[in-house]
Amino acid sequence: MPTWVDAVGFEDVPEGEVKGVKLGDQFVALYRLDGQIYATSDVCTHEFALLSGGWVDHGEIECPLHGTRFRIKDGQCLGPFGHDLHCFQTRVQDGRIEVALLPAERE
Amino acid sequence: MFLQNYWYAAAWSTEVGCTPFARTICNEPVVLYRTQAGSVVAMEDRCCHRRLPLRMGKIVGDNLQCHYHGLTFEPSGRCVKVPGQALVPPNAKVRTYPVKERYGLVWLFLGSAQLADESAIPDYHWITDPDWGAKGAYFHVKAHYLLIVENLLDLTHLAFVHATTIGNSAVVESADVQFKRGPLSVDVRRSMKNSAPPPTYVRAGGFTGNIDRWQFINFVPPGFVRLETGGCDAGREGDPSARRITLRNLNIVTPETETSTHYLWAQCHDFDVRNSKLTEMIFEDVQQAFLQDVTVFEAQQQCIELRPEAPEIDVNGDAGGLQARRIVRELLDLQAARARPIA
Repeated sequence: MPTWVDAVGFEDVPEGEVKGVKLGDQFVALYRLDGQIYATSDVCTHEFALLSGGWVDHGEIECPLHGTRFRIKDGQCLGPFGHDLHCFQTRVQDGRIEVALLPAERE
Repeated sequence: MFLQNYWYAAAWSTEVGCTPFARTICNEPVVLYRTQAGSVVAMEDRCCHRRLPLRMGKIVGDNLQCHYHGLTFEPSGRCVKVPGQALVPPNAKVRTYPVKERYGLVWLFLGSAQLADESAIPDYHWITDPDWGAKGAYFHVKAHYLLIVENLLDLTHLAFVHATTIGNSAVVESADVQFKRGPLSVDVRRSMKNSAPPPTYVRAGGFTGNIDRWQFINFVPPGFVRLETGGCDAGREGDPSARRITLRNLNIVTPETETSTHYLWAQCHDFDVRNSKLTEMIFEDVQQAFLQDVTVFEAQQQCIELRPEAPEIDVNGDAGGLQARRIVRELLDLQAARARPIA
């Protein structure tokens, strides 16, 4: 069963931007697109750069190092390097963003 | 390959006088001198007759006379005298470059002279602005210019290369870093809250406790890297009684060849600006740090030349440098595409 883990305030993730957080052992990237919060792994599947240093554009996150792009809504890798990103469920409770982590992810 | 149709800083104004002064810029040999009225002439450093470098010649009036057979060139580059004959061949001329002195630097325009727009010279006013204390220097570096650019865009090296001057571990471990990019610019904004001040900040700013420190780095091609750095008593941003210093570290990185660079830079401060001892002290600290960098650049270059195909990996701190390299590469591709004849 996943557990909801508090991350940051809703306002800490401005529209169209990315914010990196560490929740337990997990590097998580949070995004706000059209008012909706999304979360993916913050680690590029190519060379392990933190995606939160990159750029959000047209619903995609671009890695700051080699330009690999991932679709934010489902983590799909759009190339040129790497493979799909793990995604997390999110919800907003009382102005706070919460991320669903599995027990193994909370270690 | 280097970018054409850009202004490049060739020298500090103080380096150029009324004797020939030579510097190769982007593989083009250039000789600089001043006319009697004091304006700078930038000429191809190669006699059009038997290709002796004109820097070996001498200034006669406002003209440059070749050391070999005495052919004499006026500031426009036209040959006006061939000793021993009455007529001058109509094609006897050397190339000249548009020149502008600004911010204490001699800028020259490489490319089509009709495209030389002085407003395209990037802003380095801090160097000559009376509201700032400033001192500059010139280094000749045996390394490709982009090694210097990427060094300035990734300041995590301060903790390792410059631990005795401007760096400490806070620069790496507690920095919040943001990378912004435009079509023709890169900005890296680093902020380190409540961190120990590095040795130079203690000496220059008199900080006794922790500081909030920032480093804003801006790159525009080909090799302009301007830094604003500073510190303020921790948690007292906006408090007029807090200690606060702002420094500008200004870099003009001019390629000489594919493996060497003219590195012009200046260090400026916005506090106690008339205190020349302070200006000197800050400059010396940064100069010491930059000389440590030069050792790194030249060792990198040698290592790269030994085996150019050896792979590199990139880490998070490289984002700024990689974006700068991408911009330069795209501009070079565009330049090459435009130069290609249409089939």
